[in-house]
Amino acid sequence: METQVIIPDIDPISVPAPIWLLKILLLLTFTLHILAMNVAVGGGLIAAVTEFLGKKNNSQNHFELSRSISKMLPPFTAFTITLGVAPLLFLQVLYGNFFYTSTILIAWPWLSIIVIFILAYYGYYLYSFRWEKLEGKRFVVVLISALLLAVIGLIYTQNIVLMLTPEKWKEIYFNNPHGTSLNLSDPTVIPRYLHFMVAALAVAGLVVIMWGIKKIKINESLGKWGIRYGILWFIVPTLLNIIIGLWFLISLPKNFIMLFMGENIYATVYFMIALLAMFVSLILMFVALNSAKPLAKIIIGKVFLLLTIVMMVLMRHELREAYLQPYLNWDKVQVEPQWGVITIFIILLLAGIVTVIWMLKKSFGQKSNVDPVELS
Amino acid sequence: MNYPIWEVPIIGGGWLIGIVAIIHVFVSHFAVGGGLFLVLTEIKAYKNNDPIILNYVKKHSKFFLLLTIVFGALTGVAIWFTIGLVNPQATSALIHIFVWGWAIEWVFFFVEIAAVMLYYYTWDKLDHKTHLIIGWIYFIAALLSMVIINGILSFMLTPGKWIETRSFWDGFFNPTYLSSLAVRIVTAIVMAGIYGLLTATFIVEKNNRHNVLKYSSKWVLPFMLILPVVSLWYYFTLPDIPKEIALGGISFVSQTAIIGIIVGFLVFLIVLIFGYFNTRLFTKLIGIVVMILGLSIMFAGERVRESIRKPYVIYDYMYSNGLIINEFDVIKEQGILKSAKWVEIKEINEENKIQAGKNGFKLYCSSCHIVGGYNDIKPLIVDLDEETIAMMINDLENYRGYMPKFAGTEAEAEAIAKWLYKFNLENKKEQ
Repeated sequence: METQVIIPDIDPISVPAPIWLLKILLLLTFTLHILAMNVAVGGGLIAAVTEFLGKKNNSQNHFELSRSISKMLPPFTAFTITLGVAPLLFLQVLYGNFFYTSTILIAWPWLSIIVIFILAYYGYYLYSFRWEKLEGKRFVVVLISALLLAVIGLIYTQNIVLMLTPEKWKEIYFNNPHGTSLNLSDPTVIPRYLHFMVAALAVAGLVVIMWGIKKIKINESLGKWGIRYGILWFIVPTLLNIIIGLWFLISLPKNFIMLFMGENIYATVYFMIALLAMFVSLILMFVALNSAKPLAKIIIGKVFLLLTIVMMVLMRHELREAYLQPYLNWDKVQVEPQWGVITIFIILLLAGIVTVIWMLKKSFGQKSNVDPVELS
Repeated sequence: MNYPIWEVPIIGGGWLIGIVAIIHVFVSHFAVGGGLFLVLTEIKAYKNNDPIILNYVKKHSKFFLLLTIVFGALTGVAIWFTIGLVNPQATSALIHIFVWGWAIEWVFFFVEIAAVMLYYYTWDKLDHKTHLIIGWIYFIAALLSMVIINGILSFMLTPGKWIETRSFWDGFFNPTYLSSLAVRIVTAIVMAGIYGLLTATFIVEKNNRHNVLKYSSKWVLPFMLILPVVSLWYYFTLPDIPKEIALGGISFVSQTAIIGIIVGFLVFLIVLIFGYFNTRLFTKLIGIVVMILGLSIMFAGERVRESIRKPYVIYDYMYSNGLIINEFDVIKEQGILKSAKWVEIKEINEENKIQAGKNGFKLYCSSCHIVGGYNDIKPLIVDLDEETIAMMINDLENYRGYMPKFAGTEAEAEAIAKWLYKFNLENKKEQ
């Protein structure tokens, strides 16, 4: 064997858009996908815990909340898929030769995502549509569904890491060409995965806070309880995630750690902003916890959290480019933009967004007392 | 040649795509036709001030939501997953040519998903007019996503002028674009009626059940008559070799087509007799039978469409085994083992000849022939000696129709023949 690392050639057909445009779309749609996923997975886990606590303490507040979350889970699961399709598309144009190869190595686990997803999704619908009738079984139904979705995340993380490490492919494939391998032995997979999942709880905690704010007008004590409960769901996972993030960082090969420590100016700046924004949002939420008028702090806290997420996505991208740097030379990629079709896409995208906003306005805007979060 | 080959036992990768695709196609055509069914039935209910029909549409819309948004969407993603695994080279080509087509389809997909959810959730919340508009938005978005994906699907069989121009529009509006779109739209409407018939059997009250059955039959019957017409149009837009395959060039393909036509006739008769004239006799069981028969027609249609593309995955551009036709001469020069990235044996010698043959077969043949499985190679060579097998491999496109030209060297053909001949020897021992 002449080479240790085998990488499929770049497709002979040129890339039909500038690389920067595809990267922007990849990162933008990925961020939106992650936000929806956070509500779908984190929300499901919070609902499970809330069901459990409600039953244990016979607490009406808990059930009020879990009922509301149950209605949000199916639509946010739908958004997770829809918003997930787009980044997967752009990923394939940009990094197809890496992505297809790593996927083939773990083909069956990868395909099982579909079955797992269908089960989890119907589980969420069951939880939502049969909430009253399920009674004591609610905890189990929503917990299993949320955990199934969380398993999908683990398969994704394995593939996304495997596509960055072509050094490992050859051995995996020649030992097992049947596509039943996994990539759990990579030391970065578990911390990377947990970093995402625990963040999902924190983001879903924000949704609970928003629910509390809405409820205050109708039922003050319920609303206040919801805000406190949501803030706790934000604070505890975020604190935990500092430790997991550190674990993830030190699990990386040393030259990649250094990227964030000054070696790569972009990576370092993103990292600094992310840390700073995360601490600001954390402090604001702490203050809001015992504040009589928490609204402003919460809103600013949310903005900073969003900033953190965007920075994290950018850091992840820098890390990917660093991993692939020895194998991928963007200057050698042939680009022939299809500007006509790109223009049509952008026009239709805007038209699509306007249409969806119009439908949402019509559906929820007519009666002002209808909760925009409660999609029912 | 470029990617590792995923070994799928027995059914092979091709059938795996087939299974996933057929499930998706069955739901996705319903997702289009069913959208029209929902709005038109809702309009009918308002017009006749008929609360029972209205109640039926509401219930039907729940079934519709649960089926399309979950099962339809995910099986669509599943096709994408599967083609990437089984034929990464072709998937990569399609993505490079049509990424913006897919991006546009994604916009419609997004609108579609949002609209169908809101349509279901706002039955009792919105005024009739606004609710209907959302229904129309759903249908139009679903239809447009079909309009887009049809361009990419039909491209694979008839890339037309794209082969020379490499232009998006030449590939998209290819020679079978319109005719295959017509087949898909008519099929979608028939499917909507078939699903309507099935859900109608759940209406308890007799008269209403009969009305809805009769109504749904009117979606099936006329369009079942149009279906052969548009299919014939599709046939005439095909290039010569696919036509030839369909008309008996490969016997199972024409057999499948004939079975499809017979089953179609059967569905027409059943719906005419039980769905239209004798609605009393239309039970849940008949509803399910019609559904299964409908699935068989679509299965036959898709199977024929896929098979007449042999031996290409993208006609005149790429063989099913991922070999790009432009690269044929370069590969032929050095052989497939040296050209391929994911094989262990690069040089053939006397010791590794059999193993090299196995590698060569996997590379070049296993996309269509699974040993001991689908399109099994063993019975096809059972009476042949080693030299004849090697000769056939070297002259692949002439021996049996619709196979690709062999891009390997003579030594590689001999190695593959040696490995294949082993099966014949084993066979003889057993006897």
